[in-house]
Amino acid sequence: MTQQAPPGSGGKVSRRDFLKLMAAAGTVMTFTPFVDWGKFLPNPAGNISERAKVELPNGSQANVKTFQVNHSEAIIYPRADDPSLNTEAFRTWQFIRLPEELGGNKNDASAFRVYSMVCLHLWCLWKYWPEEGRKRGECPCHGSMYDPLTGMAFAGPASLQSPPSNVLPVLDLEVDNDGNIWIKPPNWSVNGNGIVGFGRYIT
Amino acid sequence: MVVTLHRENSLVRFLRWAYAGVDRTIFMALKFTFPARFVSPLGFLGMLTFVIFIILGITGALLMLWYEPILDRAWDSVQNINDTIPYGFHIRNIHYHASNAMVMMAILHMYYQYFSGRYKIRNEILWVTGVILGVLTILEAFTGYDIIFSERAELAISIAASLTNSIPILGPQMRDAFFGSGFHDFVLRFYAFHVFLLPIAMLGLMVVHFPRFLVFDVPMVMAITGAIMLTGGVFPVEMGLKFDPNVPPGITVPEWYLTGLYAFLRTQYDKFVTGVAWPGLFIFSLLVIPFVDKYKKFSWKDRPLITAVGITSLAQIIVTTYWGFYIDPNRTKSLLERLVIDPIFFYIVMLLLVPLSFGFTYMMIKLAKNAEANAKLQPRKPGGKTAINFPKRWIYIVFVVLLVFQVYLNISAYYAVLNGMKNYSLFIVGIIMLVFAGMFHIYRHGAAMARAPPPKPITPPTTAKPIPSAPKAAPPVPKPTTAEPLTAPPVQKAASGAQAASKTSRTAATTPTTGASALSNSKSGDATNVLEERSSTELRKK
Repeated sequence: MTQQAPPGSGGKVSRRDFLKLMAAAGTVMTFTPFVDWGKFLPNPAGNISERAKVELPNGSQANVKTFQVNHSEAIIYPRADDPSLNTEAFRTWQFIRLPEELGGNKNDASAFRVYSMVCLHLWCLWKYWPEEGRKRGECPCHGSMYDPLTGMAFAGPASLQSPPSNVLPVLDLEVDNDGNIWIKPPNWSVNGNGIVGFGRYIT
Repeated sequence: MVVTLHRENSLVRFLRWAYAGVDRTIFMALKFTFPARFVSPLGFLGMLTFVIFIILGITGALLMLWYEPILDRAWDSVQNINDTIPYGFHIRNIHYHASNAMVMMAILHMYYQYFSGRYKIRNEILWVTGVILGVLTILEAFTGYDIIFSERAELAISIAASLTNSIPILGPQMRDAFFGSGFHDFVLRFYAFHVFLLPIAMLGLMVVHFPRFLVFDVPMVMAITGAIMLTGGVFPVEMGLKFDPNVPPGITVPEWYLTGLYAFLRTQYDKFVTGVAWPGLFIFSLLVIPFVDKYKKFSWKDRPLITAVGITSLAQIIVTTYWGFYIDPNRTKSLLERLVIDPIFFYIVMLLLVPLSFGFTYMMIKLAKNAEANAKLQPRKPGGKTAINFPKRWIYIVFVVLLVFQVYLNISAYYAVLNGMKNYSLFIVGIIMLVFAGMFHIYRHGAAMARAPPPKPITPPTTAKPIPSAPKAAPPVPKPTTAEPLTAPPVQKAASGAQAASKTSRTAATTPTTGASALSNSKSGDATNVLEERSSTELRKK
């Protein structure tokens, strides 16, 4: 039996190989659209393209002229239609007007901060303590403390976590001509506004 | 009219017809064995794991009727199952303890297969799917105790989510895809994983994990079921506190199969390394073991390195599991001080366990080989077929006593339920299952006795084989030291010696023998003893 010599391959592809290539390409093309269907999995509630009011617990919109210096409130963002969803820790944010020495007197967005209230350690809800000598965020569970200016943990277990898990997620604010405060559309990534319960890199 | 169990009625005919029909299905490819006598459960731990999986499926399906995977209702619905639904306590406890039993069985199963070298001889696929099944089993158990949404569940979810997030590049996307965002999504999705996605994946893997030969040992299955119920009665699972993000949680540790991982996390070292990379490395090394193990033999004694690696992994699992549970009881210290494990100390201990385990393995193999050699020196004990030798009458008596005990237990279980003593009734039902296991075993034993051929007559047949006659008269076997080379293993040598002995006895048989042939059996036994002694002396000379 003599073995047939391979056909001179002058860059030519045999008919069979060409068919195989086409079949493979067809298979890839058939299943390509389903890659985008992966978007079914993440929760789209976080995809917000419009600014939202900073709605205080009493129902009014926060205003730079009326909101006290060195004071904080818990706000809900993004607000859902289902009241039980609005009780969720992951939608709870701490809206802080900084104390005087940190620039809380200015009547613009730089005097305000909004941080996720979910502690980066084990997801308890921390809050801001305005008392003299404290003026910081404290978690009741394991004593993590947060700097109100940057949202960075400076004491307790959360401060020992490596970045990005030591800086609280933040929301960007803007103030309109009437002094009403709005939340700008967020970018939920560690390099943007951060991931709730996980943290962000300080930019 | 005579009542007999042997009559072929229409039901029996129907069952026979159905059984014949099963011939056309895939089940005929499986060889099911129902052992007719006691066999060691070590060989069918996998089947027991599967049986527990089925128990979990049944109880889990029942729990689904009442459980609500909604953020603010999950814990309350579990409380409802536990406290107000009749027998909800029983079902929940069986489900919980069966989950622990399944993880434990899977681990034991894996280590038995590991040390007995059964992943060889083309069983690599079984081993690899088995390791994946084990990981899925732990994930299944983990998602199960998370959807109660107690304080401990919340801590577990937060750790799982942050570990997923810590994976480089794809982590945050994976977290969003698998967990969603927020507690509402977490609970609902863990539920979906727990009741459908993970079990269906496990069932699919089982198709490529089941060997063709399966052992279904009814007494052992019933005993395991009974043990699960009994444990549920003695240690009923607690509800835990409902999760409230405003309330500081107490110190909680995860379930025992995750405390090892928890110990690593408590070193406060990088989350990805401690929580994802180390366990990933462990699982990966388990996966590749069959392809690394190049020993030609199966026994752990003949595969020293692989055995040492296995012992090391066991030692590290045991130490980290305990360490994960241990929390400094000194309450004057801060919580953080009590929880954090010094990473340098921790990793030094982990490293020290390696030479210790290797040394331990070396010692065990030495001891085992010595014991083997010694056992060959001793004359073999006669009999030893079965430990218990009841006379027939006693089998009937024990059976009736157990049946009466069953009646008593049934009554007490019923009254326990009437009086609201849920865990006591669960305990008793567990005992009933155990008693059933005992009854089945005794029935099996009796049936085997009835089926066994009658004992051999003491007078042997006249056409006796020539081999057992008069070894005393035979010329002495050739001395092993002079003629034979010592390269062949002793077992073969013994066999060749036996051949030589039979030859000599054949020549001896031609000479008239005086000894009564009744003695021949015992004499041949002596001959084998002599041979064994020979081989063991050779061993010692080696």
